[in-house]
Amino acid sequence: MLLDKDAIAAEIKAKIVEIAAQTGDDASSLEMDEIIPATGLIDSTGLLELIAWYEKHYAIPLAQEEINIDNLGSLTRMAEFVLRKKQAAA
Amino acid sequence: MATPVYVPRINNNDDEVKILGFEVVKGAKVSADQILGQIETDKAVMDVTAPEAGYLLGFVGQPEEVVKVGSVLLWIGKTAEEEIPEMKADPGHDGAGGASQTTAKARLLLARHGLSVDAVPPINGRVTVEAVERYLAESGGKVGAPRRGGEAAVQPLDPGPNVAGSVVELTREEKGMASTVSWHRDFAVPGYIEIEYDTAPWVEYAKFFQEQKGLLMPPLLPLMAWRLIQVVKEMPRINATFVHGKRYEYQPVNLGFTIQAGEALYLAVVRESQQLDELAFVNGLGDVLRRAAGHNLRESETSGATIGFSSMERWKVTRHVPILPPHTSFMVAHAAGHAGKAVLGASYDHRVLNGGQVVSALKKIATPPKHQ
Repeated sequence: MLLDKDAIAAEIKAKIVEIAAQTGDDASSLEMDEIIPATGLIDSTGLLELIAWYEKHYAIPLAQEEINIDNLGSLTRMAEFVLRKKQAAA
Repeated sequence: MATPVYVPRINNNDDEVKILGFEVVKGAKVSADQILGQIETDKAVMDVTAPEAGYLLGFVGQPEEVVKVGSVLLWIGKTAEEEIPEMKADPGHDGAGGASQTTAKARLLLARHGLSVDAVPPINGRVTVEAVERYLAESGGKVGAPRRGGEAAVQPLDPGPNVAGSVVELTREEKGMASTVSWHRDFAVPGYIEIEYDTAPWVEYAKFFQEQKGLLMPPLLPLMAWRLIQVVKEMPRINATFVHGKRYEYQPVNLGFTIQAGEALYLAVVRESQQLDELAFVNGLGDVLRRAAGHNLRESETSGATIGFSSMERWKVTRHVPILPPHTSFMVAHAAGHAGKAVLGASYDHRVLNGGQVVSALKKIATPPKHQ
């Protein structure tokens, strides 16, 4: 399991690129601090797929109240949230 | 003694008519002169009425079937338990080129199993109940199951394609979809209506709601689904189905929401959704959809929908006609907009709802709540 912030962000970005491609969009230029829903690169169904993958891949079950812009709004925030959850569990 | 009701003549030039449908079901009590169904030719439609009071014992002709004028259309008895006589059918009723004769009771049995008379080898030149039962036994149950109440249309036995290929087993999800589509075909009387609406008020409302609540997920579709649930409170008949000739209005609003997860298409269900406030519903639906996306739906979230919501906006589809989930009568069809306009449609069961009611419901759903 990768516990480096940049490596985690790179994994998440790769997943977003894969999801965006399903609807013909190219997310390869997504920046670290861009607010993902605001980019329009992936829709609500794509976001659901991303979150489902994120929970499973990093083994961090999410409560509904944790699924917000502050925690998961950008690549940076998603990566930092993984690290925070892992530290809390350690 | 059972009384046959014959196919009436509409005009002098037509010796055959098409059965449009029936307004009564097998076993129903009927009064003299009650309209039992309709037949048509190219020129006219005519009601078929009961010659006397009694009980409808069974149909010989079936909807969409072309039958000879003067042949037996259905049977009426003094009691619901009366036997239909084993009679020789009108030779003209056997269809084009039919060399054998088919008895009335055999026709009922064929219809119940969705069989074509051509599939059954006759006995001594006649297709009788014995011949049909022998065919069913020899088929080892591979033919169609008996139909509910004998009221659905005849479905010919599909002999399968005659082009080389291989059989692929369906996944659990694919079987579910096939089952849903079959219910829609066999038991609903589906209609579809759409209206055009301005998308800006809904987009604005969803944006406001998302920012106010700090949500990650765009809440437009969950909010529209929640609006649908509020409309049910005003129009409970859209949260209903049709059972034994009556409308069955559900107590809970179990909202089914379609979601494509990989190759699987789920109808994820939020039960008792009428008890949730707006935010609780948006979060509750989000939970269910997240489990669907991860292929982890709970058993209770995969069945029991009483009303439905479907969107194909993701695929930039601007119009679609959804299939009604089993035992529902209203399924919203949301689609992608263009230049500030979009269509909002609904598939509906015409036995439960008429077009005016559907339009009324759609207009309400197309209007977002006021900002709070």
